[in-house]
Amino acid sequence: MKKIWLLGLILTLLIGVLAVGQVKTLYWNLSTEPPSLDPPISTDTTSHQVIKSIFVGLTDYDDATMDVIPDFATTWEASEDGLTWTFHLRDDVYWTNGRKVTAHDVVYGTMRTLDPAVGSSYAFVLWVIEGAEAYNTETGTAADVKVWAEDDYTVKFGLKDPAGYFPAIAGMWVCDALPIEVVEEYGDAWTNAENIVTNGPYELGEWVHEDHLILYKSPTYYDVANVKIDQIYCYMIEEASTAMTMYEAGNLDSTAPPLEDMDRVKADPVLSAELTIAPDLCTYYYGFNNEKAPFDNPLVRKAFASAINRQDLIDYVLKGEQKPAQTFVCPGIFGYVDGVAEGIGYPYDPEAAQQFLADAGYPNGEGFPEVTLMHNTSEGHSKIAQFIGQSFMDTLNVTVNIVNQEWKVYLATCRENAPQIYRMGWCADYPDANNWVNEVFNSKSGSNYANYNSPDFDALIEQAARESDPAVRFDLYGQAETLMCDTDAAIAPIYFYTIVNLTKPYVVRTFAAIGGEHWQDWDILPH
Amino acid sequence: MLQFVVKRILWAIPIILVVSSITFLLMHSVPGGPFDAEKALPQAIIDNLNAKYHLDDPLWKQYVDYMWGFVRFDLGPSIAYRSRTVNDILSQQWPVTALLGMASFGVAVFFGIPLGVISAIKQNSLIDYGAMGISMLGLSIPNMAMGPFLIWIFALKLRWFPVATWGSPIHVVLPAITLGTAYMAMFARMTRASMLQVVREDYIQTARAKGVREIWVMLKHTLRNALIPVTTLAGPAFAGLMTGSMIVERIFAIPGIGKYYVSSVGNRDYPVIMATTLVFALAVLVMNILVDISYGILDPRIRYN
Repeated sequence: MKKIWLLGLILTLLIGVLAVGQVKTLYWNLSTEPPSLDPPISTDTTSHQVIKSIFVGLTDYDDATMDVIPDFATTWEASEDGLTWTFHLRDDVYWTNGRKVTAHDVVYGTMRTLDPAVGSSYAFVLWVIEGAEAYNTETGTAADVKVWAEDDYTVKFGLKDPAGYFPAIAGMWVCDALPIEVVEEYGDAWTNAENIVTNGPYELGEWVHEDHLILYKSPTYYDVANVKIDQIYCYMIEEASTAMTMYEAGNLDSTAPPLEDMDRVKADPVLSAELTIAPDLCTYYYGFNNEKAPFDNPLVRKAFASAINRQDLIDYVLKGEQKPAQTFVCPGIFGYVDGVAEGIGYPYDPEAAQQFLADAGYPNGEGFPEVTLMHNTSEGHSKIAQFIGQSFMDTLNVTVNIVNQEWKVYLATCRENAPQIYRMGWCADYPDANNWVNEVFNSKSGSNYANYNSPDFDALIEQAARESDPAVRFDLYGQAETLMCDTDAAIAPIYFYTIVNLTKPYVVRTFAAIGGEHWQDWDILPH
Repeated sequence: MLQFVVKRILWAIPIILVVSSITFLLMHSVPGGPFDAEKALPQAIIDNLNAKYHLDDPLWKQYVDYMWGFVRFDLGPSIAYRSRTVNDILSQQWPVTALLGMASFGVAVFFGIPLGVISAIKQNSLIDYGAMGISMLGLSIPNMAMGPFLIWIFALKLRWFPVATWGSPIHVVLPAITLGTAYMAMFARMTRASMLQVVREDYIQTARAKGVREIWVMLKHTLRNALIPVTTLAGPAFAGLMTGSMIVERIFAIPGIGKYYVSSVGNRDYPVIMATTLVFALAVLVMNILVDISYGILDPRIRYN
């Protein structure tokens, strides 16, 4: 009897030691090698995922509401004229080299983004700062850029216009604080694993290029007590089916199932229970070249926009519970209007489509020239184009030629002479409609491949960009969407993306629609 | 011999110049540039980037600068992977590919040549049909089917090997078999055909007439001479294996150089396109020189003057 007690005691102790000593590791797939961990230089979602976990942002975004929430800055306010934004910073944020992070590091990071010699692709989002565009385009000096540290824990930005969306911009990587002494010492090599100094919830441990990257919980993070996962082991598996196999073999804790596995996943009792479909901040749309006949006629554009059976496309081709879109700005972004509920834009309505085409002078499609529908080469885009192209032909009795081009050739084609119908998508950089309607469809924008040129629309979105009152801005964006997607039917929004994800049941997680998962809020249960 | 090798190396210079200039012209004539993206950048930003990477220089100057860097082993920065230089990418990714390539070549040689020899010795027997059937199968199944199939059986069902990734000798097995099988099949078929041809030569009859044991006739006299066409095949095959396979590396998530042959073109990452092309050209040149040298060792009748 005594022996059994002793054995029980030893076993309990052993389990206790194992439980205490257990390192919580999340096995994650980054899908590719992060091209750059240097915030001003990074441009892609993979890099931003890692950057988000190793650097604190000036502000952050709430996963559920997309509201701008505090991170390095605890509070912020605009001056009365809306032109000066003041951010009050935490005084307990440290670099991994032990130095305190200050407002001067934020100024340095912002100025590094604007430095023309650095060549930051995203510098243009900071052009709203007074003097920033001139410095970035080498027509002004660094001294004239209105960003300064009032004291060690107060940073101020002077803007050209009272841009109400500026706190959202402040949460982007372009404003991240950077360790001055490290960047100056190592130059572009400062993000190499052996040199990098960070200030976020995790720090970069090991980085074997193209293979894996390990992040460790940072002991200097200001909220380290609430970070539960000790390390994140990031694979870089590009092939979705390989990642799926690794997930099923238990080597990955989360993955995005490939489209061809979706039916199996939904039918499988275990996998279907692990499946989550969450909103993503992206819109898939077909643009019409508004200058190319016969799509220079709004009635023709309305006919084509009404001939897309979005729900069938989602149910039978995409299978990811995407949401049909009739407007451009997606849900979760400030300025989103629910086009489907409010009757803005064009739902699938074959009779209305035929009527629009008849009103345009082509009854039953007679005399309508052949249409070119172009997309960039990809199996997914091809399936969508086949479905929608067929929908156009069946509904409108027109001939549609589907053409595809390699991605960069396609972009050059769209830029120089966009086809009558082209495929494009847009994902949020920051959760505000300015990033959508203004940056894409302003007649001066380089992404306006539709050649949409409406002075009224430009006036609305430019006014919204200068306005600081949220209610007024919201109303202006609603008017702009109505003008672009309904009155002018410049484009045909098709669907709002979803994040389709499998996660093991022992992972307690959140979903960051805008990208940059908050791993610091996750947990791994014993399993 | 030395004169031959020096001459061949000198010949490599104009070949590299031609390959590099054609590649350079082709990649610059393809529409689209490295900074084109879904989010079109303002022209001022593109100007900054072009200035940073000297893409605003005249083309001839860019080419001369590149080649001057090339001879000094400075292959420039990667435009798509901005924190890395092309030297970094080659030095970190190429050894992985080289290791996989050597393992695959090992699979091809150590299974392919014996398979061919056995088939030739036992011509028209069941063994011959079996061996040639296997090699035909190896040639016919593409890597993108073979890889997932091997993963399914040996990693997911039997759990003998890891599903994917890299890091230990056991990780090399499935990708090396996937990549090496087709070459194994080629070597087997070439060895068999070549052996059957050589076996009809007079000197084989002589060897047999002298009473040499059949096994020695086959291995010493027949195989050695039969290996010349196999070697001709092996040179470029080895060069190909050493520069990677995008498909196999992708299926098994191997951190090799293979993907850069495709992604660099998609990204218009000019310095990486140049470097990967020149590495491949150099690999083929070196292997062809080695193959030519090996002819003399295999067949004493071949002279280099």
